[in-house]
Amino acid sequence: MVSDSILDFAAQLSQAPAAPVIEERELHLVVFRLDREEYAVPIELVREVVRVADVTRVPHAPAHIRGVMNLRGRILPIVEIRTRLGLSRADVTPTSRVVVVEVAGRTVGLLVDAVGQVARVSERLIAAPPEEVRTAGAEAVTAVARVGTRLLVLLDLERVLASTTSNVNSTAPSAASQP
Amino acid sequence: MTGPEHPFAALLAEYVAECLPLAEEVVEGALALERAWQEGQSADELFGPLKGTLHTIKGNSAMMGLAGLQNLAHRLEDLWGVLAADPASRDAGAPLFVRGTGLLADLVRGTASGPPPEGAAADYLEEVEAFLASERGAREAAREERRSPDRRTSDRRNPKAGGEVGADGAVATIRVDSRRLDALLESFGEAMIAHAGLGEAMRQLNRRRGTTGELTQLERAMLGLDRTLKRLESALMETRLLPISTVFSRFTRLVRDVAHSEGKRVRLEVAGGETRLDKTVIDRLGEPLVHLITNAVTHGIEPPEERESRGKPAEAVITLRAVQRSDRVILTVTDDGRGLDPEAILRKARALGQAPAVEAPSLAEIFALAFLPGLSTAQRVSQHSGRGVGLDVVASSIRALSGNVSVGSEPGRGTTFLLRLPLTVAVLRSLLVEVDTERYALPLVDVAETVRVLPETLYQVARQGMMTWRGEVIPVMDGGLLLGGGAAESRRYCVVLRSAARHRGVMVDSLLGHHEVVVKALDPSLGRPPAVAAATILGDGRVACILDTGRLADGWVEPVAAAAP
Amino acid sequence: MNPGTFLVIDDSKLHHQMYHLIFSRSELTGSRLLHAYDGREGYELFMAHPELTLVFLDLNMPVMNGLEFLHRRQAEGMHPQVPVVLVTTESTAEDEARGLEAGAWGYLCKPFAPEQLLALVGRASSRLSQRIAHP
Repeated sequence: MVSDSILDFAAQLSQAPAAPVIEERELHLVVFRLDREEYAVPIELVREVVRVADVTRVPHAPAHIRGVMNLRGRILPIVEIRTRLGLSRADVTPTSRVVVVEVAGRTVGLLVDAVGQVARVSERLIAAPPEEVRTAGAEAVTAVARVGTRLLVLLDLERVLASTTSNVNSTAPSAASQP
Repeated sequence: MTGPEHPFAALLAEYVAECLPLAEEVVEGALALERAWQEGQSADELFGPLKGTLHTIKGNSAMMGLAGLQNLAHRLEDLWGVLAADPASRDAGAPLFVRGTGLLADLVRGTASGPPPEGAAADYLEEVEAFLASERGAREAAREERRSPDRRTSDRRNPKAGGEVGADGAVATIRVDSRRLDALLESFGEAMIAHAGLGEAMRQLNRRRGTTGELTQLERAMLGLDRTLKRLESALMETRLLPISTVFSRFTRLVRDVAHSEGKRVRLEVAGGETRLDKTVIDRLGEPLVHLITNAVTHGIEPPEERESRGKPAEAVITLRAVQRSDRVILTVTDDGRGLDPEAILRKARALGQAPAVEAPSLAEIFALAFLPGLSTAQRVSQHSGRGVGLDVVASSIRALSGNVSVGSEPGRGTTFLLRLPLTVAVLRSLLVEVDTERYALPLVDVAETVRVLPETLYQVARQGMMTWRGEVIPVMDGGLLLGGGAAESRRYCVVLRSAARHRGVMVDSLLGHHEVVVKALDPSLGRPPAVAAATILGDGRVACILDTGRLADGWVEPVAAAAP
Repeated sequence: MNPGTFLVIDDSKLHHQMYHLIFSRSELTGSRLLHAYDGREGYELFMAHPELTLVFLDLNMPVMNGLEFLHRRQAEGMHPQVPVVLVTTESTAEDEARGLEAGAWGYLCKPFAPEQLLALVGRASSRLSQRIAHP
């Protein structure tokens, strides 16, 4: 997890010119793609990455839940992370994957457009998110990491997932049946 | 007492004409019983008719306002119950019973010239009271004795790897960590799913290649596997069954504590504690039962003074009863309190815009409303409404166990909640249907019938789709709309769901037959979607939702038109 | 409340006389009362009279009890428009719940006062007229 102290530390570093640091810590991040953006979550939280099997819709499930999938006999909720972050819903393509994460004792799958390799990122390259990233759903964006020319958006999965259980889909029938 | 003002005073002669022969029948029956017992026969065949006759006398006396006779007949019924259940009570009890029936006949006979004087049977009733109390004491002592040797052995037992040694020196019972049983059940579920997958693959092979020798062999092997799995299922279920007394036992204390803090006098009576249920059901039953019992004490039961002013005993009784009926267990929670007020429920439902479609709904339809979310919690402030704090929560936790709950009540007399629970939770017999290319499983116990429906036989009343089914006009809802999608006129099949209140139809695209599905709980990330009880994995590996038919059938939403007009 | 046709199914002759008394002393006087003394006889009358306003059905009867009556009626879909009131002595509420589930429209618990019975009839008639108003 990226804690506040790391953020503070990162913020200081981004202002000062890069100085050689002894015993520099590295984060291992699983990188995935949504549209053209690259997002990342700490590898400790990722159990596995699997291909997208048939996803079954669950009627009146919370918003941002695409449905459920059979993961070796276990029923895995699939989080529509695109809409959670304010992007439009997209079709499953051959590169689509499910990133199975375990957060706060819950195991869920994140539906992503594609998964890249694991990135090792030095802590000093992690910075607070710039203004333009603070768009809809961006309270889940904790930081960004610059790796060469790439910009990785780090997600706070606890925040991403917390809101998926509290928001009830607006198409619930009680609302839909009102004229 | 029946005076000239009593509405049925004119029928006193008819009362005697009908009840005297009945009372004499009872006297003869009681004497025959006593004789048979003295000769060491069981004479069970005499029991049933005797009880029915006493019951009729009691009912008739009550209608006539003959409270003394009603009371006497009632006490004789109690006495009858003790004699029937406990042969040890018969030496002292039989003569008492015979005497009482004689008294009953005398009093009925005397009624021809006017109702019996007050307290005519008082001495006798006191005697019966004392006898019943001493019998209760003896039964409890016997139960205590039966229980204690067992307790001694279990104390000596090694709690970690305990076992009981049988007469032949072999280990007869072993203790197993319940988590291992859960793991076993889960593996069994996976085997069931794999089996369904094999079956599906076999059918496709058959379709593509036609029947071959190898395929026939495969089919035979599958049949064998089928049978073995069935046996395995029942053996596994058997190991998971626990007596329901494990959950009942804590309620005596609960009732005492809640009653104390509410300033009420309440006794808990328990019957059928030996009825067995799956461990998971037992584990998840505690919470809804606590809810129902607490509600009964705080809202259902009147304060002692109020009870007495209504002619009820100051001490109220809550009865918890369990019985097994085929593959279900029926659990009732009954109180003798003030009962639900149908008018109050109806008012509240109207205020919430949840009123039933008919203008004069039946009591069952009204009481079913008590389980609607919002309705019962809103009632908390109301004086008359009785209970209802979070009844929707109770209903949904029972439904999560593939069970259902209904309520019957009569103002002034009390309320009964009826819970139907599956014996096992792992496998559910269900009907698979398809709506908008998704498949759903419906518990078969809730399906009354499936019918093919032509669009012209559906009609609209207000915004409600209706259809005639077996002469009954039932509301019909579009499956797509209920399940968060849109309505479609193309749906041709109607699944008629039974519920406590009335039948309801749900339109679906196609029927995919009956299947035994393995029930898997929904992940909490999915919240508590109102229409879905659980999920399952089908033969082709895809997940299907198991629908909460109770909520669909009881109109968890304002029913929506079946097809666009 | 207008007079109608009522079926009383009860094995007690006394009860038939009570119903008679109640009806003759109320605004329902002029109603037609049909009498049956067990469930089977009652069911035959029930089948022959779709015009019934209401049926009073005793729960405990020797030949075909009240619940059996209701189950048969439910299975055969016989005259679902006719409300059936289950009459019980000393409510075992479980029986009542079962009766309601088997399609009873309401229930009366003995002892009942004439006013209780009349109130039920009133409710049933308003339901019927409403049915006619919205076919």
